[in-house]
Amino acid sequence: MNNPFTLENKNILITGASSGIGRQCAISCSKMGANIILIARNKERIRETLYQLEKGDHLYYSLDITKYDELEPIIKDVVSKLGKISGFIHSAGIEMTIPLKMLKSQQLEDVFSINVISAFNIARVVSKKKYVGDNASFIFISSVMAILGQPGKIGYCSSKGALMSGVKAMALEFVVKKIRVNSILPGMVKSEMSNKLLNTISEEARNDIASMHPLGIGNVADVANACIYLLSDASRWVTGTNLIVDGGYSAR
Amino acid sequence: MKTNKFLCELSETLELEEIELNVNTNLKDLEEYDSLSVLSIIAMIDEQLGKRLSGNDFNSITTIKSLMELIGMDSFE
Repeated sequence: MNNPFTLENKNILITGASSGIGRQCAISCSKMGANIILIARNKERIRETLYQLEKGDHLYYSLDITKYDELEPIIKDVVSKLGKISGFIHSAGIEMTIPLKMLKSQQLEDVFSINVISAFNIARVVSKKKYVGDNASFIFISSVMAILGQPGKIGYCSSKGALMSGVKAMALEFVVKKIRVNSILPGMVKSEMSNKLLNTISEEARNDIASMHPLGIGNVADVANACIYLLSDASRWVTGTNLIVDGGYSAR
Repeated sequence: MKTNKFLCELSETLELEEIELNVNTNLKDLEEYDSLSVLSIIAMIDEQLGKRLSGNDFNSITTIKSLMELIGMDSFE
């Protein structure tokens, strides 16, 4: 039986692969048969992800994605070893909670650099004819915070919003190249990033957040499963869209 | 800029892998040539030669030689 959700014979590049959503995406995609290219800064933590992957022709690179010029040699290396790239998941990103009053321009530039500019840089390089496979699929991990506001989150919300808009323009630009482009907007999921955030607030506030998600706080696997769908042929008719995966948070 | 380098840059911009460009190649005959590639070529010429062409300029262009003439032959060796 032909499984439309299979990722067999696909080479998938994942940024932020050392933790959280990125790590789970790598694991889940490998279980669906993909070869995974792991990208993150911390070599030790990438290797921890690597050990959890299902058997496959996996590669890993320690890279700071804000060093924009260092990406292409890596992509070249990947293609020479595995063949063309079938898709990527940009899961690298930072959180930022600072009231505008205290928010410096440099910090805004930092959050945009990692969350947005490096993402578009990856798309620019990987979409080159010599590197990208047929019917490729690009996924940007945005956030439900791209469409909802919260005090102290101007940097984070606007950077995640930038991904959403960018996705629509990119999707239309890449139709001729047969590349689909989508984003996922997760609500709060249990991860290293959210744990760090939740530890800074009171128990009461933590319970409030949980209760604001009709289906409770999510798991990284919930986001990874959405990625499997968007990377697979099952979503061949889906492009330029922003998939909300938030336990009903934004429906309220 | 040497003509050969310009042909290389054009080839890169249009992502032509197998096709060999020469000055008599008619750009509009190329499969890869569309409105987006015009924008890419404009960006490349701006970056490499410091000349800003517009989309309208491209209406009259046929061969690569005609593009080079539009830019100005004094930009090329």
